[in-house]
Amino acid sequence: MPHATRPSTNESAFVLSALRENLRLDSRALDQYRPISLKFSSDPDVYGQTDVRMGKTRVICNVSCEVITPYSDRKFDGVFNINCELSPLIGAGVEIGRPDQAELLLSRLLEKSIRRSNALDTESLCIIAGQKCFHVRADLHVLDHDGSILDACCLALVAALQHFRRPDYEVHGEQVTVFDVREREPVKLTLQHQPFCVTTSYYDAGTIMVQDATLLEEQCREGEIVVSMNRHGEVCQIAKYGGVPVDALSVLSVVKQSWEKVKMMDSVVREALSKDERERDKGGRMKAELSAENERVMERPVG
Amino acid sequence: MAAAMVLLPGENIPTERLPKPKKGKLTLGPGLQHTPPSTISATTAGSLQVDHRKAALWLEDAGGRYQPSVGDLVIAQIHHSSVETYSCALTPHTSFAILGQLAFEGVSKKTRPQLKAADIVYARVSKASKWEDVEIECFNSATGKAEGMGQLKGGMVFDVRPAFARRLMMGTDKEGVSKGGVVLLEEVGGKVKFEVAVGRNGKVWVDSGSVRETVMIGQLLRGADEGGWDVEGQRKAVKKALRDV
Repeated sequence: MPHATRPSTNESAFVLSALRENLRLDSRALDQYRPISLKFSSDPDVYGQTDVRMGKTRVICNVSCEVITPYSDRKFDGVFNINCELSPLIGAGVEIGRPDQAELLLSRLLEKSIRRSNALDTESLCIIAGQKCFHVRADLHVLDHDGSILDACCLALVAALQHFRRPDYEVHGEQVTVFDVREREPVKLTLQHQPFCVTTSYYDAGTIMVQDATLLEEQCREGEIVVSMNRHGEVCQIAKYGGVPVDALSVLSVVKQSWEKVKMMDSVVREALSKDERERDKGGRMKAELSAENERVMERPVG
Repeated sequence: MAAAMVLLPGENIPTERLPKPKKGKLTLGPGLQHTPPSTISATTAGSLQVDHRKAALWLEDAGGRYQPSVGDLVIAQIHHSSVETYSCALTPHTSFAILGQLAFEGVSKKTRPQLKAADIVYARVSKASKWEDVEIECFNSATGKAEGMGQLKGGMVFDVRPAFARRLMMGTDKEGVSKGGVVLLEEVGGKVKFEVAVGRNGKVWVDSGSVRETVMIGQLLRGADEGGWDVEGQRKAVKKALRDV
């Protein structure tokens, strides 16, 4: 029967003694992230699909939307859902439908970082108050687990939300026309800010802080602190669920370290988005067609 | 020399590929099954290897799944102990293997080994069949000696693919050339002192005096396994790694 693997006593003792000498098994620095690869769907009609790799960890995210009736107690808001389930794909001992504590924490932290911080403005999803709104749903699938799945999930989700385009619509009185992608160019979502999650694992009662832990390092750690913030330094949430107690000054220094990492992740996403836009718009033809400017012909002045 | 033939499970081997045995007997290795009178079919996916001299056939499989067979040396992790036995995990996806508490050198009913959950042992598979639990032992039941088996203390365990572990264990032939094409450990052993135990289930235990050297050996193993380095590539990587340490 597949059972969850625990590292052997030799492995956990070795990882700890290596960290005490400032060494990690893949020769990274203690606060160094693995190279992050972010890819979008190569299909030109598909928006909002991302594939993120951090070392061996791999996460894909798909954002889609449909038109529904809004909730009666929130007439002016659209609906935004995040769905993240772990499957036996990622390793033995994980079952669908029976979430263990790690999976519940993953969903809860994603909700807090992205939904409760209003990263996606739900009021912008409203079409006619009380009658029609957009329901945006994000589905995350973890394909490979080698640590840091929360960081990878959050990055995949934020990148997908920035990439996604919803159908354009027109309202005439009570009548709504939602245009197909072939009739009108779809429109980007309104994101108020882009939050990212940084997980810091600690050992030896908080004296050793490690970022982007691999699966083995995560299994040997004494606890973790998850900080969600955006590149402006605004903190969305700080979570420390259990684990060995850590003093408050260490938590503050973790938040400061996380800010640097968030800026790094934000630049990765921006670069990937602009590269994707250039590729979808080869030769600049789309921009030229959609632009309302006339070409100005330079003539020599008279006289 | 014909190109290597890749077989899928259930395919039969064409008769022209079969070697002509001198004594009229063909030896079948892993991955092949004989249905009398004269059909040999593949049970797993892999490339067909033929040894004409020994009249032997087998399938080389680069897959990640380990299937225990009798006589294999493995590194097992103790999961829990019951009255007379330890239940050990060989891989995370299969059921536990049984290790008798008396299957060690020099123990009796009064002096049992002190093994706890999450300890690792170097053991040999004594019984392996599809319908029964796999059994392993930490001593040679014929001679009663440990022969290097038993609990592994300290050091670090690295995961590799079972096919790579098999190449590591192949040893050298008469001219001293490594049969599996892996010279990593010998090259590193020239400069660094370390102990190593290779488990056919895809685990390699390494214990060097220092943490840094063990980490380096682990990275070399992973590189050779995932990068598919040939002998020259391995030598270059070892030289570079030894310079940095």
